[in-house]
Amino acid sequence: MRALGLAAFIAACSAPPPPARDVLSVSVEQASSWVRNFNPLLVGTARWPTRGGIYEPLLIWNAVSGAWVPWLATSYRWSDDHRRLTLTIRDGVRWSDGAPFSAEDVAFTFELLHRHRALDASGLWDFLDGVRAVDAHTVELTLSRPYVPGLVEVAQQVILPAHLWRRVADPVAFTNPNPVGTGPFTEVRVFRNQVWELGRNPRYWQPGKPEIAALRMVAYPSNDQANLALVEGEIDWAGNFVPAIERTFVARDREHHGYWFPALGSTVFLYPNTRRPPLDDVRVRKALSLAIDRQRVVDIGLFGYARPSDGTALSDAYASWRDPAVAASAWVGHDVAAAAALLDEAGWTRGADGVRSRAGRRLAFTVEVVSGWSDWVRAAQVIARDLAQVGVAVEVRAYEWSAWFERLQSGEFELSIACPGLAFSFDAPTPYYAYRWIMSSPAVKPLGELQPTNWNRFGDPRADALLGEFEATDEGPRQKELMRQIEERFAATAPAIPLFVSPLWGAFNTRRFTGFPSAANPYAKLSPHSAPENLLVLMHLQPRAR
Amino acid sequence: MRYVLRRLALYAVAAWASVTLGFVLPRLMPGDPATMLLARLRGKLSPAALTAMRDALGFADGSILRQYVTYWRHLLHGDLGLSVAYFPVPVGEVIGTGLLWTLALAGSALLVSFSLGTLFGALAAWRRGGWLDSVLPPALALLGAVPYFWLAMLALLVFGHVLRWFPLGHAYSLEREPSWSPSFILDVARHAALPALTLVVATLGTWMLGMRNTMVALLDADFIKLAWAKGLPPRQIMLRYAARNALLPNVTGFGMALGFVLSGSLLTEIVFSYPGLGYLLVQAVRNKDYALMQGLFLLITLAVLAANFLVDVTYVWLDPRTRAHA
Repeated sequence: MRALGLAAFIAACSAPPPPARDVLSVSVEQASSWVRNFNPLLVGTARWPTRGGIYEPLLIWNAVSGAWVPWLATSYRWSDDHRRLTLTIRDGVRWSDGAPFSAEDVAFTFELLHRHRALDASGLWDFLDGVRAVDAHTVELTLSRPYVPGLVEVAQQVILPAHLWRRVADPVAFTNPNPVGTGPFTEVRVFRNQVWELGRNPRYWQPGKPEIAALRMVAYPSNDQANLALVEGEIDWAGNFVPAIERTFVARDREHHGYWFPALGSTVFLYPNTRRPPLDDVRVRKALSLAIDRQRVVDIGLFGYARPSDGTALSDAYASWRDPAVAASAWVGHDVAAAAALLDEAGWTRGADGVRSRAGRRLAFTVEVVSGWSDWVRAAQVIARDLAQVGVAVEVRAYEWSAWFERLQSGEFELSIACPGLAFSFDAPTPYYAYRWIMSSPAVKPLGELQPTNWNRFGDPRADALLGEFEATDEGPRQKELMRQIEERFAATAPAIPLFVSPLWGAFNTRRFTGFPSAANPYAKLSPHSAPENLLVLMHLQPRAR
Repeated sequence: MRYVLRRLALYAVAAWASVTLGFVLPRLMPGDPATMLLARLRGKLSPAALTAMRDALGFADGSILRQYVTYWRHLLHGDLGLSVAYFPVPVGEVIGTGLLWTLALAGSALLVSFSLGTLFGALAAWRRGGWLDSVLPPALALLGAVPYFWLAMLALLVFGHVLRWFPLGHAYSLEREPSWSPSFILDVARHAALPALTLVVATLGTWMLGMRNTMVALLDADFIKLAWAKGLPPRQIMLRYAARNALLPNVTGFGMALGFVLSGSLLTEIVFSYPGLGYLLVQAVRNKDYALMQGLFLLITLAVLAANFLVDVTYVWLDPRTRAHA
């Protein structure tokens, strides 16, 4: 009791001051302590503000409006053979140390990635052949083959200052402690193990922007702590999952608390290992698909936040690409009779225990999930019950994350729940990658070899041809027609079983700042996990008048 | 002196063995750091980049024996390598963000818990059946049996969120620049109070029960009876005769616990957003961060060995019999 009394006394004599009104507190990354690293090129460890605040890309793809937003480049042009991409670079931009920005910096950045392939995360030099600054405001990239989908990789590459990075001996092992960028926030005002702040760039090229004085990152080790801070009003903009958000967050202050969970995230699939019989049989895969009640998977597994997948498996970011006929196709509907008929047709007959078998082999699978990813684990349990109804015995087995991922990549699994690339979202203008990562044969390796994509190990020559043709055209109608055929191919071959489209989590508090995107004002994604698209949001936010 | 020297030689062998284990064990886990990086590529994949990254991570490739030799060479130069999970930040710097905080929080919680627990245990045994003996042990055993995570969450909810007696997390007020000024130290104490209190409450029972049980058994021993018969003051019998001897098993336990302070208290760190080594260790394991794992294992190993050495020395002082054997 005495200890409590003393602590209460201490608590009373030093109450912390409230956060400044014009500092935007963001919860994107989770950590128990911060480590100073502002290298924007490093795969996996580049932190959010380096790509959404300090450094900027050439163009930004706005997945919500479906348009390119000119940024450090004002326009792009493909040559007729699609082997040359010319970018016009913006005038009047300065680095935060005052040096002028030019096409030289752009060319330098791409050359740097060529010299240090470890930094070329998006594989630019798999299709690039050369880069040249034609003059101070023109950059010309030559490609080794026509590859139109590569525009997004080029456009969203963040650009570095040549005059500083030229002197960096080893850019791979460079922590860039004092960053100099073109972005709206470049000044590291505070850096402590529990909190750090990134102040406004005094020389930012957009006049009067940003209106926020600084971004503030507080260390929260897990969702629970971040959610508590959000509810307490310490966080203005959050990208963590908030359970029962209406009740726990919005209801506390309806005037200021809001959220937007649009179905713009990745599609989550039940991945079949198509190299393992009987999952090589399209009838079996379609029967599994037909037996699953996706609405229930979403209601139980994701508290109803997600949207059941349609026949194209595309998220709402690709709404304009979705072919209505494929989207409405029956194979992703819930039809137990049709599923049973398909299995009968494939020769699997029900035994005495209710489980189907063929030639002495039971139709039994293991679904692998990551232990602790509770939404996917619950989804798998619903799926297991659904499949049991059509005579497929399914066991859900949870693995520790790295073991699960190893099994997924090496093809040791039978069925696994995953989304392509394990990414929050794709941020690409076309669904090209979404389909390539699930049905392109060149990526398929023998079982046992690690495979970074196409974990279902499915390749379709006709899809390859269509994807190849798609790479070489940027004409809208032609692209649409090719994509329609690819979607048809996807629905016909069922290379993986789409379950639901993940929502992008985003919540905000307008007590200090206004202008967040929402369902009512959908000008860009709300989720702060979407760099560089988040730059659009940072340009829009305004502190409330004092 | 010979006793101490012999112990030192033993410790050198133990240190070598555990450093080697710390090197081998992470490598027996499935997957490697580069594959784990690939997982965090967030959908952007390039085999060429992956190969290059593997090279950049250095000792992820090459024969295990060569890696081992390189590891020792770097270690002797004080170079712990670059962390993978926080690439390219050096392991020393990553550990630095949590080391002091873990030492301060878990260390002081252990000290308080050990001293209070031992004292209460001694008193409870001395006045067997008294109020202290009948109330505290069952209450503390109950609290110790409650899952710590739940206990900590409940404490945070009640004393932080509802009653507002304590801050909701972190090691110091975010507006403050860390320094050695009295006001900052007071601020740190204010933040550490609740997490430390939960740690103490959760562990107090073990120390108290251990001390009480040993001492109760000792109080019937002949040399205590002799002390009574000699007419020594009860206070002296309790402290110099009974407690001093009953302390031995608890001191061993204290040595172990002291060493493991550096492995951090993961759940405390997570619940109270407290910086520390427990969270870093989990990050290292999750990301197959060999370098960070080795660094932390090394630190924990050295701490356990140092603590054990301290216990050995304390034993020599507490228990004359060890001196006679040496």
